[in-house]
Amino acid sequence: MITTLQWVTFTVCAAVTIARLPSALRRQNRALFYVFALLTVAILLSIEAPYLAIDRALGGVNVANLLLRFIIFGAIFFVGVKITKGFGATREYGLLTGKPGIAALAICSAAVIVTFVMMDTRGSSAGLAQLSNQDDPHAALLEYYGAAGRLYPSYVSLILVPAMVRAVRSRLPWLVRLGAFLLCIGSVAIVLTLSFPFMPPELGYTQFIINYTAILCFVIGLAVIWFAKLHAARQRGKKSFTKK
Amino acid sequence: MPLPAKAFQRWLQGIAPDTSAADVCRVSGIKRTTLAQQMVRGKVAESTVVAISRAFGANPVAALSTFEAYNALAGPPTVPSVDELVSQISTTDLLRAVLARSATEPDGIPTGIPPLEPAPHGTSVKNWVDAIDDGELRHRVAAATGIAPQNYSAQLTANRLTPELALATAEAAGASPATGLVASGLITEIEAGWHPDARRAALNSMSDARLVALAGERLQALGRTLRRQEQDQEQTDMIWENLG
Repeated sequence: MITTLQWVTFTVCAAVTIARLPSALRRQNRALFYVFALLTVAILLSIEAPYLAIDRALGGVNVANLLLRFIIFGAIFFVGVKITKGFGATREYGLLTGKPGIAALAICSAAVIVTFVMMDTRGSSAGLAQLSNQDDPHAALLEYYGAAGRLYPSYVSLILVPAMVRAVRSRLPWLVRLGAFLLCIGSVAIVLTLSFPFMPPELGYTQFIINYTAILCFVIGLAVIWFAKLHAARQRGKKSFTKK
Repeated sequence: MPLPAKAFQRWLQGIAPDTSAADVCRVSGIKRTTLAQQMVRGKVAESTVVAISRAFGANPVAALSTFEAYNALAGPPTVPSVDELVSQISTTDLLRAVLARSATEPDGIPTGIPPLEPAPHGTSVKNWVDAIDDGELRHRVAAATGIAPQNYSAQLTANRLTPELALATAEAAGASPATGLVASGLITEIEAGWHPDARRAALNSMSDARLVALAGERLQALGRTLRRQEQDQEQTDMIWENLG
């Protein structure tokens, strides 16, 4: 069930990335293409089989997981920048690209790297699941590593939520508002990942659902906004033909 | 308030006895599926009754008045006030009148004025409500019908008014109910019992000062609408630029 969810998410994400390729080649909004591509790679790295293959090629010490963290940081940073800019959320844009945003990114990156280096990470394992069986100091480090990896995306998402709520309630075209609504759900889901350490282990599958809901909502939300643009362009074309 | 299917059927029997539903639809230009759906739901739209009455040569206002919810329309047509009549003249026509009056004509009767555009015009709903509003009308309509004031205002701004609300508005203002149906475009001014030249006469009876002041108000409102549209467009363009 979870593997299916993972591959479905991967397929959706890869499809959007490929669909985005022509406009990227035309130099239209390349950042968006990179975001989709990064997210596709991120999903690939969170699925067991490809993760093991890639990580073993990288030396089998779970460097691929560290890579995954930074891919997510990069993707969420660019998504946040583009969304706040697009929706005219100047204050939120400042919180991302200004001193607090850069500080948050630096602190989280440092924490991820330091905890990773301190951990004994031998033995490829997707999501570092197998490493959690280790003795106390390492288990604690693993918790900190995971928390640091979730903190920065949550910081960005927390900033996005109010901007998206404003967009949903605005007079923008309804497709754009639908996209903003999906982005809002995705942001809330990412903020919820902060609660993972406090979740009982039996609820492990909800963590998966929250993670993939977040990614799917972001990818589909952005795709809907893109579709809204194409739709609006077509409508404008129609109007000018019939009315003028 | 849509009309109950039973009452509609009774009325249809009276106006078009021995005519099949298919023929009724064909003559009145209503889609068969639309009528069938309205009958199944037990809610027949007012516009259906209007279209059928027109097709069978009956007065739509008289037809509507036979339904309980529209009893207020019964009886001889009430003559709307000058303000109401002028509210149904388009801004373009008002501006034409201003220009015509400022041109010096020897006999005072300007020549070559094109006939007024038929009601309704682009802002006729809001202009009608403004014409009969004593300052508390919106509150009274909201209280009488239970509609949220912001939803009512949104309808007026979008130049839409359901027949039910049109009647409630007229009642709350003590105005002629048929005028609301003219303003919302359900019926024509002739069908409402207005003299064909009623609007022109009302316009001519306005003093220069009143006419110019009214045209100015309309222009200001138009300016506000256009500014809002342009702002919305700017915002949407910004989204397309960053996320499209």
